[in-house]
Amino acid sequence: MSAAQDALARVALNQVVEPGRFRLLDRVSARGAVDVRDELLAMSGESADHQLVAQRLRAVDPAAVLERAHRMGLRWVVPGDPEWPSGLDDLEHVEPLHDRSGVPLGLWVKGPLRLDALARSVAVVGSRSSTAYGTHVAREIACEVVDKGWGVVSGAAFGIDQAAHRGALAGEGPTVAVLACGADRIYPKDHETLFRLLAQQGAIVSEAAPGWAPMRVRFLARNRLIAALTRGTVVVEAAARSGALTTSTWADRLSRPVMGVPGAVTNPLAQGVHQLLRRGGSLVTSGAEVLEHLGAAGEHVTTEQRGPDRPRDLLSPVDRQVLEAVPLSRPASLESVARLAALETGVVKGALESLAGQGMVVHTARGWRQGAASSDRPLPFLDSRG
Amino acid sequence: MTVAITHTVSLQGTLGHLIDVQADVSSGQVALNLVGRPDASLNEAKERCRMAVLNSGVDWPSAKRITILLSPSDLKKRGTHFDLAIAVAVVAASADKPLAGLAGTVMIGELTLTGGLRSVPGVLPMVLAAQARGHRRVIVPEPQAREAAMVPGMEVLGFRSLGQVLAELAGEEVPDAPPVAPMSAQRLLSWRGQDRQEESDLADLKGMQDARFAVEVAAAGGHHLMLSGPKGSGKTSLAERISGVLPDLGTEEMLELTALHSLAGALEPGDDLIRRPPFSAPHHSSSKAALLGGGSGRVRPGELSRAHGGVLFLDEFPLLASDVIEALRQPLESGEVTIARGDETATFPARAMVVLAANPCPCGDFSLRQHLNRCTCREAARRDYRRKLTGPMLDRVDILRHVEPLTKPEARDPLAKRESSADVRQRVTAARSRQASRFEGRGWRLNAQVPGPQLVAEWRLTDAATRRLEDELYAGRVTFRGVVRVHRLAWTLADLRNVDQPGLDELETALRLRSGEPLLAATLERAG
Repeated sequence: MSAAQDALARVALNQVVEPGRFRLLDRVSARGAVDVRDELLAMSGESADHQLVAQRLRAVDPAAVLERAHRMGLRWVVPGDPEWPSGLDDLEHVEPLHDRSGVPLGLWVKGPLRLDALARSVAVVGSRSSTAYGTHVAREIACEVVDKGWGVVSGAAFGIDQAAHRGALAGEGPTVAVLACGADRIYPKDHETLFRLLAQQGAIVSEAAPGWAPMRVRFLARNRLIAALTRGTVVVEAAARSGALTTSTWADRLSRPVMGVPGAVTNPLAQGVHQLLRRGGSLVTSGAEVLEHLGAAGEHVTTEQRGPDRPRDLLSPVDRQVLEAVPLSRPASLESVARLAALETGVVKGALESLAGQGMVVHTARGWRQGAASSDRPLPFLDSRG
Repeated sequence: MTVAITHTVSLQGTLGHLIDVQADVSSGQVALNLVGRPDASLNEAKERCRMAVLNSGVDWPSAKRITILLSPSDLKKRGTHFDLAIAVAVVAASADKPLAGLAGTVMIGELTLTGGLRSVPGVLPMVLAAQARGHRRVIVPEPQAREAAMVPGMEVLGFRSLGQVLAELAGEEVPDAPPVAPMSAQRLLSWRGQDRQEESDLADLKGMQDARFAVEVAAAGGHHLMLSGPKGSGKTSLAERISGVLPDLGTEEMLELTALHSLAGALEPGDDLIRRPPFSAPHHSSSKAALLGGGSGRVRPGELSRAHGGVLFLDEFPLLASDVIEALRQPLESGEVTIARGDETATFPARAMVVLAANPCPCGDFSLRQHLNRCTCREAARRDYRRKLTGPMLDRVDILRHVEPLTKPEARDPLAKRESSADVRQRVTAARSRQASRFEGRGWRLNAQVPGPQLVAEWRLTDAATRRLEDELYAGRVTFRGVVRVHRLAWTLADLRNVDQPGLDELETALRLRSGEPLLAATLERAG
């Protein structure tokens, strides 16, 4: 059985089978597409259903379908192709969700980006009715990860999806939209410019045959591809029952990291994300933190963000205790400071002298008071600490 | 002739009173009396007029008792523009035959000792007042003839000297006279925004989608707006472009605004009617008098009035003196400034859109994101600064927006729709004309100006939206004052979207605009 025959058999099946019908897809994965197609053709008498499938299958001219697709700028990528994204193979034995699972028969692809480049990529998904905050964060994250050489996969929908693609395009990095409808269609219509840019600089991908409409069940099947194509999934804004959460469920079933960007507790669009975080997802706030989760051990390690250092932070506990006992303006005697600090006079004297050396206390004729350097203003930032 | 009457105008703020100048020249103890509550500067008119008349080659009745009454007498009068009317009245009273042209003519102008006619501030509002009282002919200093002619239906005569005026009134040939100097420049504050706004366009700005949308809404409904964000995030650049999205002023507004500028002495001889909405950006160290009006001597309109019909931008708003902030509260609500001083009360219109900008802290470098935070302020200083931000001023601001510095994905966004000011102006104009036709015959033009009770009673939201807004109120998320403001904003959004009654969608956006919460992405996309 040649690769070309296999590809044609897959095209034929693709024309008659809904995306994500895992029983059939599993059979194809196990026995090959040609075998399964021939079997279906032979089963013509068993039931009305089978008869219909067989009848439709007989009507398909896969070579003509491919030819038409090529003219529309689509290519057909199947398992075994050099371009085939191997991440999809993990779908073979994943427990179905909404009755959908399985390795797709192939992918219709439009655009210059090779899908095997998605070995280092991340899915950024979320609500279609996002807030400006959510779109802002999605764009930031997408832009940051492409800067580090990673790809961004999403669904080209309104809200977070388009923000993710936009951020990646702004960073001139690889980005792929996975559609629920045929890869030749523009859905939603308003995103015409986005689709044009994706077709020029990234890729538009679909499991559904060219021309097929975006139907609800196809979105559920599509989400499994977004999760499987990438190393991990980031959910930016999602209401409690958002479709974006099915993508994260798929990522979870594929044992890929699930990440969420937190929002305000009062924001309904943060509820879904917060649920996901409570169930063990990782909290991320930036592209760098996303990559820390996805990269190999020791790669993309971020430094913990912390408040600025204040001069007092650098003092020893004893010095700090003594400093706090020194009055701000009216000088006090050594004994008085020692009493207030509840420390021995000798210790206090030593501490005061060391503090005086740093300008934090001043010795006057009438005793000790705090100096100019004792303020708790943050130290000026050093350039080395990016 | 022993008595003659001429007419001129006295101004109290923008309110003009017609003044009869009555001169009586008769026998008796020789004296020159000016009565009718003139102030010190006006009392000097006696000397100016006498010398001006003599130096124009006309007789001054020096051997007579001259009484000049400025009627009505109870009104306090101030200014030098009475000179011309006084001099002409005295000359007419002592002349053998009456001056034919006196009836129905209003005279405005200051005299020099040589008989020259000098420019005075406030010619436009004076001529407006004269027109309102049925006068159709006005004599003004030559450089201000253009300004006076802005008033429709007035016959304007511009002259250079007293001699020319007398010749005209007597029906003789008008002699030549040397040109007179225009009024000395009296600009109270620099107008740095005025020149720059001509060249700046919204299309130059990157990012800030959320704030751009807020600007469009604010402009459409005349709402006050507050922009907060760290320094360098583009608050000023955005504010400077707001007057560019406002439509041209209406005829009435043009006259009002030009009259205000005339009062402020800010109108140059060549200036035309002001057609574009003004932009004024006084510095935060400005005094109460500079911002709201007042000053020593004549009461002048402040920057708030000079931005009437346009935009007053207060950058670094928390740095304004506390008494200035206090004083701003009332005009922001009522749209006018009233200055009472002694027995003088002046009212100036002040319906400017006020745009406040504030940094997150005094140094302007504070950021919630630790790696961007460069703030060096003390915690106490930050708290003090923020206390000024909240409080009563914020309650009078309809829209609150946070602006963040431009990020890379925004700067290089290949899908950004950078609309020009003209595109936005088109939508704003359409929304404003919807409001104008809805409020036809009422005393207001924009949603922001509708009094709360009328708004709630006459222009309701859909039932579902009303219920939702009530829920927000009872849940304590909106104050009573806030409810009215949200209601107004919802109407402006409906006007922008060409919707007949604001519904849940408009209300949701209005609530977010008011509270400072981020908008829904769909709202921004829908806006274009």
